[in-house]
Amino acid sequence: MKLKTITTFALIGFFLGLTVLTAGEKLTGLDVMKKVYYRPAPKDMEADLIMILINSSGDKRVRKIKQFVKDYGKVEKKIMFFLAPADVRNTSFMNWSYDDPNKDDDQWIYLPALKKIKRISSEDKSDYFMGSDFTYDDLGNRLPEEDNHKILREEKLNGEDCYVIESTPRDPDYMYSKTITWVVKGKWIGLKRKFYDEDGEFLKELTVEKYDNIKGYWMLTRVKMHNVQKNHTTIMELRNIKVDIGIPDRMFTERMMKRGIR
Amino acid sequence: MKRNLLKFSWLVLVIVLLITALAFVSVKKNSRMETNLDKYMPQNHPAFIYSNQAEKWFNIKDAIVIAVENKEGIFNPSTLKKIKDLTKKLQKMREIKKEDVTSLYTADNIVASEGSLDVKKFYKRIPGNKEELEKLRKEVEDNEMVFGRLVSKDETVAIILARIDDDTFNQNFYKKILKLARQYEGPEKIYVAGRPIVEGTLAYLMPKDMKRMVPIVILVIVVVLMLVLGSLKNTFFTLMVVLLSTVWTFGLMAALHVPIYAVTTMIPVMLIAIGVAYGIHLYTHLTLFLKENPGASREEGIEDMLTQMWKPVLMTAVTTMVGFVSLVTSQVYPVKYFGLFSAFGVFVALLLSLGMIPAAIYVFGLPKIRKKEGPHRPEESFYYRITDKIIGGRYIVVIATALLLAVSFYGISRVWISSSFLAKFEKDSEIRKTDRFINQHFGGTTTLNVILEGKEEDTMKRPEVLKTILEMQREAEKLPMVGNSFSLGDFVKRMNKVMHADKKEYETIPDDKNLIAQYLLLYEMSGDPENLWRVVDYKYKKANVTFQLKSDDSKALKEAIKVINGFKDKFKKLGIEIHFAGSGYKALVFTDLLLEGQIKSLLLSLLIVVVLLTIMFKKLSIGLIGSIPITITTAVTFGVMGLLNIPLSSTTALISSIAIGIGIDYAIHFIDRYRIYAHQTGDKLLTSRLTMYHSGRAIFYNALVVIAGFMVLIFSVFPPNRTLGALVSMNMMVSFLGTITIMFAILYMKNTYFKKGGKA
Repeated sequence: MKLKTITTFALIGFFLGLTVLTAGEKLTGLDVMKKVYYRPAPKDMEADLIMILINSSGDKRVRKIKQFVKDYGKVEKKIMFFLAPADVRNTSFMNWSYDDPNKDDDQWIYLPALKKIKRISSEDKSDYFMGSDFTYDDLGNRLPEEDNHKILREEKLNGEDCYVIESTPRDPDYMYSKTITWVVKGKWIGLKRKFYDEDGEFLKELTVEKYDNIKGYWMLTRVKMHNVQKNHTTIMELRNIKVDIGIPDRMFTERMMKRGIR
Repeated sequence: MKRNLLKFSWLVLVIVLLITALAFVSVKKNSRMETNLDKYMPQNHPAFIYSNQAEKWFNIKDAIVIAVENKEGIFNPSTLKKIKDLTKKLQKMREIKKEDVTSLYTADNIVASEGSLDVKKFYKRIPGNKEELEKLRKEVEDNEMVFGRLVSKDETVAIILARIDDDTFNQNFYKKILKLARQYEGPEKIYVAGRPIVEGTLAYLMPKDMKRMVPIVILVIVVVLMLVLGSLKNTFFTLMVVLLSTVWTFGLMAALHVPIYAVTTMIPVMLIAIGVAYGIHLYTHLTLFLKENPGASREEGIEDMLTQMWKPVLMTAVTTMVGFVSLVTSQVYPVKYFGLFSAFGVFVALLLSLGMIPAAIYVFGLPKIRKKEGPHRPEESFYYRITDKIIGGRYIVVIATALLLAVSFYGISRVWISSSFLAKFEKDSEIRKTDRFINQHFGGTTTLNVILEGKEEDTMKRPEVLKTILEMQREAEKLPMVGNSFSLGDFVKRMNKVMHADKKEYETIPDDKNLIAQYLLLYEMSGDPENLWRVVDYKYKKANVTFQLKSDDSKALKEAIKVINGFKDKFKKLGIEIHFAGSGYKALVFTDLLLEGQIKSLLLSLLIVVVLLTIMFKKLSIGLIGSIPITITTAVTFGVMGLLNIPLSSTTALISSIAIGIGIDYAIHFIDRYRIYAHQTGDKLLTSRLTMYHSGRAIFYNALVVIAGFMVLIFSVFPPNRTLGALVSMNMMVSFLGTITIMFAILYMKNTYFKKGGKA
C-alpha cells in the first residue's frame, strides 16, 4: 500500500519505497521510481511539522503544525492543527485521500474564530499546498506510471550512490515538462529533484537536508523546496515523530477538528 | 594682423570638415536613444528611492491592458476562448512572466455555500452550453474582485492585464503585442492600452516627428535666409553654422556615451533658433559695409566685419551659454545634459561664425550684392521711418507694454502644470480613444499606489486598520476621476462574505483579528498567494492600496493624494505612515521637480544675464534695460499659456530657456550698435536711426527666419511639437518687438550714452 497525501508525510511515501525487485537484476527507470514509491511506510504517524516560508527579500515566516496520519488501505486520513502563529492557533485541516485515482480528495477546514467547518473542494492537483512551494503532486500524489522514466546516469551525491532519473509526463499539458531525480541506491530515497516548467525552464529544486531511520522506516525529516523563478523557498521539517502508535479512528473526525489540540 | 591669419582660411575649412567627419563617425558608432522614462528620473531623490523600493516589495509594475469587446456580451464560447488564448499567448511571451498576466481565465474564484468552500478557476475548458455559460455569468457577477475589474459591468468588455518590467517596453515588443491582438479581431474588437504603451509610444513618436519636421524647418529657413541675405553663399554658410554645430554637439554626446533623451531632440531646435543669428548679423553687417564701400576688397570686408561684430557676437554667445548652463541646477539628468550640450552647441556656433564664415568669405569670395535701383540712401529707408514712429509714440509703447504685462501676469496666475503623458497625443488619436474606452468600462488606466507602513508585524490584520483603509478607499472613490481601488481589505471582505454563504451583509471587515488572520491563512492555502503579496507584505506590516484613476494628469492625481492624505492622522494613531509610489506618482514628482528646476534656472539666468550685461557695457542701467525684452518675453510666454489653457510641461517649460537665449541676443546687438553710433555721431536721433538701420534690420531678419522656420512645426502631427513651434515663433516675435520698441524707447528716454541735451 502506498501513502499518498498532502504533506510531508506523503513525501515519505513518495521517496521511500518497498524493494520489489531482487538485487542484481538490471533496473529500468520505472523500476527505480516504483521502488521509491512502494516502500515500507508506517501505518500511522504523529509529528510536529515546522513549515518555514522565505520570500525573495529574505522575509521568513514560520508555521507550527501538529499532524496525525493513518493509512486505512484504500484511504489515507490526515488531520492537522495549527499551533503557531498564535492568531491561527487551532485552525484545523483534514484530508482524506483515496487510492482510486478517479476519486478526488475530501478536505475540510475549520476556523476556530468562525466556529464553522467548511468542506473544501479543490479540483487541481497542481495547486500549491498551503501557500508553500510544494504542489499537492510534489507531495506524493503522482503515480510512477504517469511519467516515462529514464536512467540518465549513476553518480555520487552527498557521498551516496545515486541513480539520476529523468521523468517526462505522459500528459503533455502537465505543469512540469520534466523532472530529474537523484535516488539513493538501496535506501530508495530521492535525495534531490529538479523541476522544469512547461517551457522547459528550470523552475524548482527539492533537496533533502536530513533523513533518519525511524523504527526501520527511512524518513525524510527536513526538506527544502526552492523556486528559482520566484526566488521563494519552503522548508519543511518533521519533529517528535512517533510511528505505529495506534492512532484511534476518532482522531479523523469533524468533532476532533472543532475540539482542537489541547 | 587679421589679414595674415586669413591665409590659413583653407586650413580652417579643412579642419572644420575633419571635425565634422569625426563627429559623424562618433554619432554613427555610439549614439543611443533612451526611451525608458525611468532613466529620466532622479533616482536618488527620496520619493523615487521610496517608490522603487515599494515597487519591489509589492511587485508593482505597469500593465499593458488588452481589452476584448463583444457588443453582444462576452459570455459566449468564442469570446471566452479568445480571452483564454490571448492570456496563454501573453504568458508564453519571453518579455512577460507567467504570473504577471491576469484575466478572467487566470483569476481565482472562491465561492461557498453553507457547508462548503469551493476554490477554482472561473473556467478552464470553454463552457459549451447555455447553462454553463449562465452559471459562469452568475459567478462573475457575484464576485466583486472580478466584476467591474476584469469584466465590465455591462458585460461587453473583458480585459487582460500583462504587467511588465519598466525596461521591457520597446517598439518591437509593442508591434508584437499589436500583431497578437490583431489576430483575435472580429467579431470582437481588441484594444491595446496602458501606461507602458503610452510612455513607449511617446518616447518613440516625439523624436520621430522631429526627424520628419526638422528638414522642412531647415528648408523654410533656407528660403527665408535667401530672401533676407540675398546670397546663396551667405545662406549656405549661415546654415552650415547651425548644422555643423548640431552635428558636433551630437558627436561629442555620442563620444561621451551620453544617450539621446527625448529633451535632447530639442537641441537642434535650439541651435537653429540661436545659431542662425550669428551668420545673419555678420553677413548683414558685411552687406551694409559693401554698400557703403563699393569696391572694397575681401580682406577689407572681412576685417571690418570682424572688428565691428566680434564683440556683440561673442557677448550674445556667452549670455546664451550662461542661460543654458544654468540648467545644470536641475535635478533631472536629461535636462542637465540638455543645458550643457546646448551650451556646447552655442559655443561651436560661435567658433564657426567667427572662424568658418570669414574663412569661407576669403576662400569663396565676397557675396554679390543685389543691385538696387538708385544710390545707397539710408535716410529714405523703412528703418528710418520706423525709428521716428517709435520715438514719436514712445509713451504709447510704454503704456502698451504695461498693459501687455498686466494681461500676461493675469495669464500667469492661471498657468497649470501637467504631468500627463496622454495629453501629448491628439484627442482623437487611437491611443487616447482606447484609453477613453477602457476608462469608460473600467476603473481607470492610471494607477496610484498608496503604501501604508506599520511599525510591527501583523499590523495589517487589525480590524480597525482594514476598516480605515476601506474608508479611505470609499472616500477617494467619491472623486469623479477615481474609478476604483483595491486593497487587502477587499480580500478580507470577500472572504468574510464567502464564509457566510455569500450573504451580502457579511461583505464587511469582521471585528475579530484572529478571524481575519484565519481568513488570510485560508486564502493563502487555497487561492494564489501571489495575489496577496501584491497588496500586503509577507509580515503583514506594510500594505499597498491601489487606486485606478481615469486621467493621468497632475490635477487628478493631486486631488486623490489630497483626499488620501486627509487620513494621515487617523493612520498615525494606528501607528501607520502613508507613502505614495508607482509610475503615476513618480511622473507627478518628476514634473514638479522639472518645473521647479526650470523656473529656478530661469530666474538664475535672468540674474546672471543682468550681471553680464552690466559688466560688458560697464553700466548697471544697461544691464537692466537689456533684460527688458527677455523679461517681457518670459512673462508673455507664460501668460499666453495661462490664457490659452496650455499646461506647463517639460517641453513648454524648456521654451522659456530659448526666450532668454535669443531675446538677450537681440538686445545685445542693438545696444552695442547704439553705443558705437552714439560715440561716432553724438546725435541721439541719428544714432537711433542708424542702429535701427543696421542692427534693427539684422534682428528683423533673424526673427523672420526663425519665426518662419518654427511656424512649420505648427503642421506637425504631434501636439507637443505643435505647441513648441507656436511658442517659439511667438517668443521670437515678442523678443524682436520688445527689443525695437520698449527697450529702444527706454534706451532713448534714458539718455544713456548721451550727456544731457542729447549730445555725447
